[in-house]
Amino acid sequence: MKFYADLHIHSHYSRATAKNLDLENLYLWAQLKGIQVVGTGDCIHPVWLKELEDKLEPAEEGMFKLKAKYAKPMDARVPPACRGQVRFMLTVEISNIYKRLDKVRKVHNLIWFPSFDAAKKVQAKLNAIGNIKSDGRPILGLDSRDLLEITLEADPMNLFVPAHIWTPWFSALGSMGGFDRMEDCFADLTGHIYAVETGLSSDPLMNWRLKQLDPFILVSNSDAHSPAKLGREANLFDTEFSYRGIYNALKDPRDKGLVATLEFFPEEGKYHYDGHRNCHVRWHPKETIEHNYLCAQCGKEVTVGVMARVEQLADRPEGQKSPRWRPYKSLITLPGLIGEAKDVGPASKAVDETFQRMLSSIGNEFYILCDASIDQIKQAAGDVIAEGIARMRAGKVEIAAGYDGEFGTIKIFSDKERKAIDQQLALF
Amino acid sequence: MERPRDLNDAQWQAVTYDGGHLLIVAGPGTGKTHTLIRRIAAAIPSLKPSEKILAVTFTNKAAGQMRDRLMALGLPQRQAYIGTLHAFCLQLLREYWEQTALPKDFKVASPEDIPDFKKDVLERISLVKSTKLAITPDEEYKAYQRALRQKGLIDFDDILREALDLLEDEAVAGKVRAQYPRIFIDEYQDINVVQNALLKALAGPTGIVTAIGDPHQSIYGFRGCEVKLFHRFAEDFPNAKILYLNENYRSSPNLLTASMQVIGKQADKDFELVARMYEEGKLFIHQAATDRAEADYIAGQVEKMVGGMDMLSARGARRSFGDIAILYRLNSQRHVITQALDHLGIPYQASAKPPKPPAYSDEAALGQFEEVLDYSVEKVSLLTLHAAKGLEFPVVFISGCEEGLLPLDLEGMKSDPREERRLFYVGMTRARECLYLSWAGRRQIFGKTVFHGPSPFLADIEEELKAYEAARASRKKFKKPEPVDGQMKLF
Repeated sequence: MKFYADLHIHSHYSRATAKNLDLENLYLWAQLKGIQVVGTGDCIHPVWLKELEDKLEPAEEGMFKLKAKYAKPMDARVPPACRGQVRFMLTVEISNIYKRLDKVRKVHNLIWFPSFDAAKKVQAKLNAIGNIKSDGRPILGLDSRDLLEITLEADPMNLFVPAHIWTPWFSALGSMGGFDRMEDCFADLTGHIYAVETGLSSDPLMNWRLKQLDPFILVSNSDAHSPAKLGREANLFDTEFSYRGIYNALKDPRDKGLVATLEFFPEEGKYHYDGHRNCHVRWHPKETIEHNYLCAQCGKEVTVGVMARVEQLADRPEGQKSPRWRPYKSLITLPGLIGEAKDVGPASKAVDETFQRMLSSIGNEFYILCDASIDQIKQAAGDVIAEGIARMRAGKVEIAAGYDGEFGTIKIFSDKERKAIDQQLALF
Repeated sequence: MERPRDLNDAQWQAVTYDGGHLLIVAGPGTGKTHTLIRRIAAAIPSLKPSEKILAVTFTNKAAGQMRDRLMALGLPQRQAYIGTLHAFCLQLLREYWEQTALPKDFKVASPEDIPDFKKDVLERISLVKSTKLAITPDEEYKAYQRALRQKGLIDFDDILREALDLLEDEAVAGKVRAQYPRIFIDEYQDINVVQNALLKALAGPTGIVTAIGDPHQSIYGFRGCEVKLFHRFAEDFPNAKILYLNENYRSSPNLLTASMQVIGKQADKDFELVARMYEEGKLFIHQAATDRAEADYIAGQVEKMVGGMDMLSARGARRSFGDIAILYRLNSQRHVITQALDHLGIPYQASAKPPKPPAYSDEAALGQFEEVLDYSVEKVSLLTLHAAKGLEFPVVFISGCEEGLLPLDLEGMKSDPREERRLFYVGMTRARECLYLSWAGRRQIFGKTVFHGPSPFLADIEEELKAYEAARASRKKFKKPEPVDGQMKLF
């Protein structure tokens, strides 16, 4: 069956996350977004793990569902048009900080588990090594390669996925804390990695430019720190609805179970361009090179973003595909789109009202963004939003690229256009 | 022969000196182990096939490292015995047990094997055994020795004393001396009279002894070690040459200057360290209101310099956890620090005694007093100042730089202020680039609240070298704390 999965999220036990990032709200928001499989996040945190055991019950192999007594109170808040089944899969992100080849490396890695037993085995190992109680995303002074070894030893069905591999400070290939080659990071065990996560600031097109990534299938997840951020990126599978289905789709190069990914426009990500946020210096990589990587304001080395980093490591011309390529769609979140159409912030009340109305009358967010007819959207939300979605689907958006931790800003309409579309409406 | 590039002139002189006994006075970071190993390596080729060098280290760990380094130089292990004095003596006792008063299958006891005696009694007996050559036994001592021997046990200190007795047998001593004509001993500043006597007995009239150490880092007086034995080397081993290593390759020049200002009051006049690192380091002084606030400050600084916690804090953060050590005078200071680190999710390892070894194996018995750290994973190291000896870190925090703790002067815990100064010096000289000296005006210790001013040692560092770090980013000079309950002592 076809289903969307978002397998990198956090719980409220991780630092800097929303208080309501709990199973009930994940269950609610997964339906609003159109996600059928959502990661639990943080699943080796002892308190969160206990909560998972208490509130979830086994469903399909390796999948878990929220017990009825917890799900029921949330159901009223899900518009009938959005209702769907939600399954949880056990996932965690680990922050590995360690020295390798004389440099401090900071690499985030995801581990996905087929069972509570498998998660507990890794939990026990990591508990002996470091502190897993203070943060849902524990920080360990453990080499990524050794974490991979622990993961594989605990259960061969565990999946290990390097997280947002391009983010400058915390990733396997990042410009500031990463390596130039996956083999430098994971050494002899690199072959046991089947998938890598592209992160918000890169899309598959960019990743295809590295031959060293050919063995891996590209996955996309939200890394949500609040329920509403779920599904910023996601994976569309068409395979057996089980952990094994997902496992095979990632592991086996002949398996076509992973159909496509939903992506951010990479420019919208926080680290697409280079620069210094505090100095308000935002540079295209060409400008960075012209300035010899030194900030024009403070003179210190700028944070080199994902675009430049990909260019640095690329060994294949732009536009060519990698052997395990999948199609993808670049999307803007629906609240972001509504905000742009109305020329107000995405978190404003006006946006939320329209958002809820569209969910009620059309269906979940993924359906609206990807599949609903423009006419249907027009009827429910008006011409400007419908036009915005049409333009987004056609890739006709302008984005001031994100840099050094600052999200990019999207522009679909000029003020003039907004008015013009409204006036057209008034004419009819 | 030409001096190799990895040895400076003084080191080269120490490696090649062949005029008899040699004492190498080697300050912190001056390449002590490197020089000693090269001197050992230089001695091995001149041995006869029946001969070995004897290299005595302070810990099993140090012995292991020395073996590894000699192996790396491609030297035959069979021509060297490398180990602690206890390990070596135990081997002698096993080999020559017929000449001892011990049963053939005697075992080495750990303190836990002697449940009938209280800890303080055991400590007192141990101190007597390591500080007196001739013991006039009292009833307690006799009862203890009887209890041991009834079970066929000897204790850790007995290993050395029995070996010393054994070497009075001239036939045995002759054989041992013939086999080990060259003796090398590390950490000579921390030797006691029994070890000293053993060394003399092992050397006899013909053996050649090389000792290396730093009297400014002598910190085990409370265990019966005597720094005066270091200064007496030339009398114990006639015609000994004394050489100095004083080029420091570890610490930033300003940190080294500060360290020397602390030790300066009792420093050997001939001996001043010269910085061979050129980049200036950082020396911060931080005053906290309470031990808890001090711990939060330290944990916060660690978080900042590792920058692992979020994307923005990562900027400019270039340390990893293994770069950092937090030192303290007493183990009981540790708890509040680990709480603060736990709160921020910072991984740490505290040096702790390993679990009780399986009883009666020589290996276990010999390792029983050593602390074990886990190096497979990077963590912030939490160590007592004593345990930090011999280690180095880019960043070092010394917490509890206050009266009462440095020098140690708490109810029921007195110390030798000169040794405490050396201990503080040992702590300071662990730092390569960054040194944080912090203190708390109020502290919970052994269930009591104590109020103290800063350690007098801090005042010995000139103001120029110190940067005062306030709890929140802004930098300002600390104010003298307000007296609390009229108990506050100010310096």
